[in-house]
Amino acid sequence: MNQTPRTLNRILITLLGLLLMLAGGTALALALVPALAGWWHAATAQAGANLQAVLDATTLPGQRDSWLWIVASLLLLLLVLLMIAWVAQQGKGRTGTIAADYDGDGAPGAVQLSSGVAEQALRAALLERDSILHATVTAFDYDGGGALRIRVVPRLGVSPQAVADEVSDLVEALDLALGMSFPVVIHLVAGARSRLVRADRVR
Amino acid sequence: MSHTELESDRPAGQRLADERLANRELRSSRATASVIAAVLIALVGLYLLLEAALKAIGQPSWLADPEEVAGWLHQLPGNVAPAVLGASGALILLLGLFFFLQGVLPGHLHRHRIPGRRGVVVVDDEVLASSLARRARTEAQVTREQVLVVVSRGLVDVRLRPTSGIPVNADAIQLAVEDEVRRSRISPVPQVRVFVSSSGVVGQ
Repeated sequence: MNQTPRTLNRILITLLGLLLMLAGGTALALALVPALAGWWHAATAQAGANLQAVLDATTLPGQRDSWLWIVASLLLLLLVLLMIAWVAQQGKGRTGTIAADYDGDGAPGAVQLSSGVAEQALRAALLERDSILHATVTAFDYDGGGALRIRVVPRLGVSPQAVADEVSDLVEALDLALGMSFPVVIHLVAGARSRLVRADRVR
Repeated sequence: MSHTELESDRPAGQRLADERLANRELRSSRATASVIAAVLIALVGLYLLLEAALKAIGQPSWLADPEEVAGWLHQLPGNVAPAVLGASGALILLLGLFFFLQGVLPGHLHRHRIPGRRGVVVVDDEVLASSLARRARTEAQVTREQVLVVVSRGLVDVRLRPTSGIPVNADAIQLAVEDEVRRSRISPVPQVRVFVSSSGVVGQ
């Protein structure tokens, strides 16, 4: 429900994995198969010569080193910044405004509905239920609108279908109260709290 | 009873959006592996950046000169003990395998989806297991500690230790648990396996 870039995550992780496997596999093969050493020397000598040629070609007269090092520095700086941006994308998407109406049928001003409205109302209603030990509601940006994620810790042993129906009732009531309906995810979790509560003694 | 039957009255677009939401809830986002990978790449990038920048402004290198490193790589199998080279190669290979598998495997979380009237309902397997355990123990008339239920993607495993001297009917428990599974309407209906242990518990 949050805006973690899942496809990007998988593509980049897979690429990194393949690169590391290639490097590790080469090192392992060189250690295990002595016959590969000749091939490795030839291949790296060729690559080194090519690289040296490029470096020589890009060295300005009077300078000691190639200007390619400056380009490499800039590219590496870009890579580091991209990695920071990638980390910043993980798990974002929580919002403080669940709905906004800027035209308001021609009336001046705008109406914004804080996500606290939905969160507080649902939470208060959920915590009154006997079958529910704990509940948290968070609002996310989803598909250009708001969406609610309801995390419920049911009492141990309660039928999940029954809890889901109860929560659905409350969400439908909220829909009526607000006059709009958001995408909703109801997640029933087994928290530490449900395990610590005393077992029922009637059997 | 299946999802499609229950949700057929919903518009198709809504169903598709729900499907997308549910898929996000049922699979790992790989955020942890991504953060590890990003930090790794950024650290290596920072070091290389430092060396490249030193080279660019014509200063002596910090830890290793790039040309020396290239030469060392060229000499490779000869200048390092084979055991060290092999071990570090294997380590890097395993690290790569970890990231590759994280990227390729589906990464199902231990959750099931159940049909809901409003929105997408996702249930942790533990919650499901505790409701099945409750049903099994009321059927067998044993205490909470005598029943262990493990729910995985395709299988419900019920392990029961009867009270000593009071026989337990495994078939009846099987039927009861299957009925409870049917009632919870989880979407791939798992197979139920009941195992009643031969040794009983004394004094319950």
